[in-house]
Amino acid sequence: MKPVLQVKNLVKRFGALTATNDISFDLHEGESLALIGPNGAGKTTIFSQIMGELRQSEGSIHLYDEEISHLKPAARIKRQVSRTYQVPRPFAELTVLENIRIGHMPNSIWSMLTQQPDLDYERELANKVGLAEADHQRTPAELSMGDLRKLEMARTMATDPKVMLLDEVFAGLTTAEVAQISDLILQMRADGMTFLVVSHDLPALKPLVDTAIAINQGQEIARGSFNQVLADPAVLSSYLGEV
Amino acid sequence: MTQIIIQGMLLSGLYALIAIGFTLIFSVGRVLNLAYGAYLMIGGYVYFYISQQLGLPKGVGLVMAAGVGCLAGLLKYRFIAKPLKGNHVAIEISTLILAIVIQSGIILMFGESTKILHSLVPGIIRLEGVTAPWSNILATGLSWVLIVAVFLFVRHTHTGRAMLAVSQDPKGAAICGINAEWINMVTWGISGLLGGVAGVFFASYTQLSPFMWVGPLIVTVAIVVVGGIGSILGTLVVAHIIGFLEIIVVSYIAPELRGIFTMLLIILFLIFRPRGLFGREELT
Amino acid sequence: MKLIETKHLIAWAAFLLVLALMPMFVSNGTLRIFIFANFLAVFAISWDVLSGRTGYISFGHPFLIGIGVYATAIMSKRFGVPVEYSIPLAVLVTMLGSVLVFLPALRVKGSYFALVTLAFMELAYQLVQVIRPDLTGGTRGIFGIKTITRGAENGYYMSMCLMFGIAFVSWLVMRTQLGTALSALGMQEESVEGSGKSTTKLKLAAFLMSAFIAGLGGAFYAHYVGAIAPRTLFDINFLFTIIVAVLIGGSGTIIGPIIGAFFLTFLLEFLRPYLPGAGRYFIYGGIALLLYMYQPKGIYSIVDKLIKRWRGGAV
Repeated sequence: MKPVLQVKNLVKRFGALTATNDISFDLHEGESLALIGPNGAGKTTIFSQIMGELRQSEGSIHLYDEEISHLKPAARIKRQVSRTYQVPRPFAELTVLENIRIGHMPNSIWSMLTQQPDLDYERELANKVGLAEADHQRTPAELSMGDLRKLEMARTMATDPKVMLLDEVFAGLTTAEVAQISDLILQMRADGMTFLVVSHDLPALKPLVDTAIAINQGQEIARGSFNQVLADPAVLSSYLGEV
Repeated sequence: MTQIIIQGMLLSGLYALIAIGFTLIFSVGRVLNLAYGAYLMIGGYVYFYISQQLGLPKGVGLVMAAGVGCLAGLLKYRFIAKPLKGNHVAIEISTLILAIVIQSGIILMFGESTKILHSLVPGIIRLEGVTAPWSNILATGLSWVLIVAVFLFVRHTHTGRAMLAVSQDPKGAAICGINAEWINMVTWGISGLLGGVAGVFFASYTQLSPFMWVGPLIVTVAIVVVGGIGSILGTLVVAHIIGFLEIIVVSYIAPELRGIFTMLLIILFLIFRPRGLFGREELT
Repeated sequence: MKLIETKHLIAWAAFLLVLALMPMFVSNGTLRIFIFANFLAVFAISWDVLSGRTGYISFGHPFLIGIGVYATAIMSKRFGVPVEYSIPLAVLVTMLGSVLVFLPALRVKGSYFALVTLAFMELAYQLVQVIRPDLTGGTRGIFGIKTITRGAENGYYMSMCLMFGIAFVSWLVMRTQLGTALSALGMQEESVEGSGKSTTKLKLAAFLMSAFIAGLGGAFYAHYVGAIAPRTLFDINFLFTIIVAVLIGGSGTIIGPIIGAFFLTFLLEFLRPYLPGAGRYFIYGGIALLLYMYQPKGIYSIVDKLIKRWRGGAV
């Protein structure tokens, strides 16, 4: 079976600094892969390159067998890959449902003008990520960190992705909220979603992913099953080195 | 040719002085003070009032112009820049509104008609068939004195170096215990002082009018945009490029077109090289 | 989705009826004030569609309006093009001109964008005086442009229809998903991109819409006053009047700029007996500055809050 997302020999340099050094991996449909590593290892930079927010210095990115490196973010999202952000950046003066609407609406000026918003879909999605009915007309300023993460998930899901990149979805959440988001991810996995996940919360990550790649200073240092990677001496020392 | 060199040097020195005050605020606070042109106007009118209406000595007028300019800068920092801290667009809109308020205030007090300032010093110098008023030469000379003073202040005093630190890395400066608020206040004060003095020179070079703030403001913006943030040297070089361009256009093409290259430079640089000729690469 | 609530509809109908009957009760002088308020409201809506929504602050809006004004004036006065063609063509030319301002918006944001637009305005001011003065009228401008209305009453109805037509269409557009997307662009450009929407397309749409309104307003204005001069058009005071109308009224809304334009125009008229000439701007600018610093969302939001509090108290 062909991989859904194929990253080959990805290199990103910022002047003298190499943020991503020769990273490769394949992601098959329904698979779930974790990228782990200390702060500044280059995980988010990989996300940005896959989404086209940053252009890689070398290497290729294939989505469904199509080379997407030349495409702008909007065009990549249309090809059904989408990401969440480490720091949620919601639209401050729009309601929860309107925030979701931005993700769901078509990317054509004419359709934006002529199509009515799909309120049922927006409500359904908000409920699905666990945003209470009472929150639907609230603005982000009135939401907790946990609800902002849920909103970020919902807005990303609203773009109708088949591959989702999740960046630190558990940061700043209570235990109950972590469980809620985990359940959501598990449910989406059961429905066939493909995931690439970055998180520092290793215990929360464990039930969600099949395989993991450990990265330090832009370079791969280990890969394999999640438990295998965590037991790897190089990985342990990279995390210890951080402390 | 000699004519162009002399006129170019005179105008450019004046432009450099005008731009230094603006670039200080832009570098330290990253804020465009659109009411900067109004300092010039305030300075010019204070000098006019004291030296020509009250008949006090010209030196007193010049010092008062500097003082009132400085006060205007401090007030503007306290009542506009500080409350709106961080919201750059809001500061720019507010300073634009303030400039119009000052313009109307001047009209209320002095009327709408233009006024001619008496020369700082009488007389005209002739050199190889070229004439230039002593007054303009004095203005440019004093401009250079002030520019060198600012340069030495920034490089060699504790406060000056702290200004440099804040402009390069506000967070780092705060960690080092530099009181950014104090530094900002000093910067706005100095900027107002320089603007006030520059206003006297500029008004004696051209004329005094309630609408005289727009032209120098745009020239200043151009100098800062083309020179780049945080470069005093860049400001000086570009002030001369723009000053000479204006004189050349006026002499060889048409006086009405004097500002055209200034606008084109702003547009082209902002589109193709937003950090300017000598500016640092912005990190974020 | 219901377009508008019945009780609001009745209120609006009553309001429009009052406006329609206005010429029977007030003097021609007052009508002329209304006319200027209407034109200012059109320009303010145009500014708000671009800057109030998307956050790209235009300091060169008179540049766009000026294109519309000059295009129709030149076509009609110098080439005898009938007004029914020259106005639509002028709108088209303005929209083309807006692409010039749009290009920098792809590269620079915030203060820098504002500066580019300011430079465009000053550039237009200087160029219009020297390039083909036989067409543009040079420094003196163009006089004797064909006027399309006769008398204050006529002009009143024309400008009212124009203003409310533009306001109504803008309101319709802004309540579609496009309106939501444009507002979102002003709040978080990166997240709009991250939601799979092309910010380039959205910005272009905003620029074209804004230019359409500016061009239409400018062209009608030229054929109302019949004379134009570069200094009153490409002028920082004119820019100030437009921006302040939006900010005082409330940006990001349709009704806000209209409230602002009327408040401004009538305040200036009210001050005229006490402070003739430009001195009025001293008071007016002072009010604008205080209001902007302490209530950046303008009169609209003050009224909105009062109504909500009143309703809350009544329940």
